[in-house]
Amino acid sequence: MTIIAWIPFLQPAGVPENYWWVLMFPLVFGISIAYRATHDHSIDHFWYRVSLFTAKSILAMGSLALVLYLFVYWIIPIFHVG
Amino acid sequence: MSYDYDQLDEPLHWGAAVLGWICPGMGQIMTGHRRRGFFSMIGIFGLFLSGVLIGGVDCVDRSEDPLWFYAQAGTGPIAFAADWANAGLLKSGKVGELVESPPSNPRMAPPLMSTFKTITVASEVGTLYCALAGLMNIVVIFDALKRRPAGLNESTRGDA
Repeated sequence: MTIIAWIPFLQPAGVPENYWWVLMFPLVFGISIAYRATHDHSIDHFWYRVSLFTAKSILAMGSLALVLYLFVYWIIPIFHVG
Repeated sequence: MSYDYDQLDEPLHWGAAVLGWICPGMGQIMTGHRRRGFFSMIGIFGLFLSGVLIGGVDCVDRSEDPLWFYAQAGTGPIAFAADWANAGLLKSGKVGELVESPPSNPRMAPPLMSTFKTITVASEVGTLYCALAGLMNIVVIFDALKRRPAGLNESTRGDA
């Protein structure tokens, strides 16, 4: 009944709790489309380039998140701050 | 780096830039780069509509979040339409109900807030989507401003 009462665009669709980061994928994909459409000299193999750019961006952000995780939970506790 | 540095000598196409703000991607389409324009349009509208779908129309708010709105306004009239819908439908109580919310100043009367107002992480994500759509459209507008019209350049063959 909740879904039937939902008014798209007026009411929020919401984000699954604890999984909000999944929405990073479509966000990066949308940015990639606009970026590659303007940046490339030729737009042959457009969707392939967009997919590759999306994958690279997500990999880079994931790696950065992993480094920060290791820094906060492994490196900082070594120094016994406080 | 595949950027065309010959474009630096290209005159500015103000008409294409204005059209690109009114409708994302139309600047490129006007100058003959139809596929490029349609792809830009898909990207910008996809981001903006996804943002409004996730966070509701409340995530575009010129009066409450002016800094975010400056970025969102890059998307063009659709951002102003979303803000108008927010003010005219949600904040006026035409859709949903207006309920009292805790005042920031206890001596003031409690402000009224729509029951459709987004207060969870969905609002932040939706706002971010719409703002990035606006910022990306500014990139697209700058591209339309400097891009050589199709047909004037051998290298644009197959683009349109």
